[in-house]
Amino acid sequence: MSELISTPRILTPHLDSFTSRTVRLIGKVVQLRGDQATIDCSGNVTALLNRDAHLTVGHAVEIVGKVNNDLTVKVLSATDLGREGGIDFEAVNAVVDATHRYKEIFYSTD
Amino acid sequence: MANYGYQGAYSTTNYGAQAGAQEGGGFMSGSQQGSQENSSKTYGQESLRPVTIKQIIDAQQPHPEAEFKIDGSDLTQISFIGQINSVTKRATNILYKLDDGTGLIEVMQWVNSDVDPDTVQPTAKEGEYLRIFGRLRSFNNKRSVTAHMIRPITDFNEVSYHLLEATAIHLYFVRGPPDSINDGGVKADPGTGMFVDSYDGAANGAMGASAKKLPAKMSAGAKTVFGLLQSAPQSNEGLHVHSIAAQLSMTSNDVFKAGDELLGEGLIYTTVDDETWAVLEY
Repeated sequence: MSELISTPRILTPHLDSFTSRTVRLIGKVVQLRGDQATIDCSGNVTALLNRDAHLTVGHAVEIVGKVNNDLTVKVLSATDLGREGGIDFEAVNAVVDATHRYKEIFYSTD
Repeated sequence: MANYGYQGAYSTTNYGAQAGAQEGGGFMSGSQQGSQENSSKTYGQESLRPVTIKQIIDAQQPHPEAEFKIDGSDLTQISFIGQINSVTKRATNILYKLDDGTGLIEVMQWVNSDVDPDTVQPTAKEGEYLRIFGRLRSFNNKRSVTAHMIRPITDFNEVSYHLLEATAIHLYFVRGPPDSINDGGVKADPGTGMFVDSYDGAANGAMGASAKKLPAKMSAGAKTVFGLLQSAPQSNEGLHVHSIAAQLSMTSNDVFKAGDELLGEGLIYTTVDDETWAVLEY
C-alpha cells in the first residue's frame, strides 16, 4: 500500500509548529518517572510513555508520537537505539535540518 | 543475504512489451554515462539511487509500464531504509510494510524454496530497521518494491546517513552538481584556468591580477613570490632564491617555504639548480 503518512523528524524547538501531528524524535533519555520520560533532543521534551515503551536512561531512543498542545509527546512507539555514545547526534540533527529545508522529499505539509 | 532466482520471470512480466529491445538493448550503447534525456530503454544504464519512501510514492510514471521518474531522471534500482511496520509471511514471499518517517511502502521479498528452511535467516521483526535494495513496481495502481536484497540495519547512524545521502542526490538532480571545491589547485577553476591564460595580466606587474589566478589557499608569501617571478625582469633561468629574498625583503627561509608551495602546485619549476625558479608557462 503506498500511503503518505509521514512522521517528520523534529527537535524540541520545532514542537510548537507540530502540535497534534505525529512526529519522530531522536534523543537521549535523561530521566524516567513512572510513565513519563524526559528526552533530550536539542532541549528537553516530556514524553508520555505507553506500556510497550522500554526506555533506559543514558540510551538513545527514537520516539514516534503525537505532539500535545502542552508540547508533551504522547508516545506511539519507541525504539531503543543503544547507548547514546553510539549515535552521531550531529548527523541526526543534520537530518532534521534537511527534513525541513528540503521537505519535498520528507513530508507533506497538509 | 540470499539471492533469489526470480529475475527471468520478473523481466518478462514488467518489460514484456520491450522483449525485443531487451535482447539487444543491454549493451548497445556501451556507455557508462547515464543520459537522462534518453527516453529509450537502455539497460546498460542501470543505476542505484538512494531515495526516501516519499520520493518512491511521489515518483512519476508517464504512462503505465514506463520507467518511474524522480526529479526527472529514470529510476532503475533503488535503495532505501525503513522501520518495519508489519511483516506478513506467505508461501512464496515475505511482505514488509516499511516506514522511514516520510511514508509507508510495501516491500516484497521472494522466498527461495530451494533453501533448506532450517538455514533460512530469521525474519526481521516489527520495529527493526532494514536496508532495502530493490526495484519499484506498480501493480493495479498500487506501488510496491521488489527487494533484491534486504539486510537489517545494526548501526542506527546508517539511517541518518541514508537520509542525508538521499537529500544530496535529490539536490544533485534538482540543482545540478555542487560547485567543485577548489582543492586540486589549478584544475578546478575553469574560468581562470592557469594553463589557458598565459598570465598576460601579470605582465604589467599588477600583483592583484596575478594573485587572483592562484588557488585561494596559497599563502600570502607564495602569492608575493609568484607575483615577483612573473613580473621581474629575468633570464630564462628564472630567479635565484637570494635574489627573490633581496627584492622582496623576505628571509630566505620564507622564500623557500613559498617556493615549496608553488612547486607543489606546479606553478613554478626549478631551472639551473634547486634554488633557481621560473614560472611554469607555455
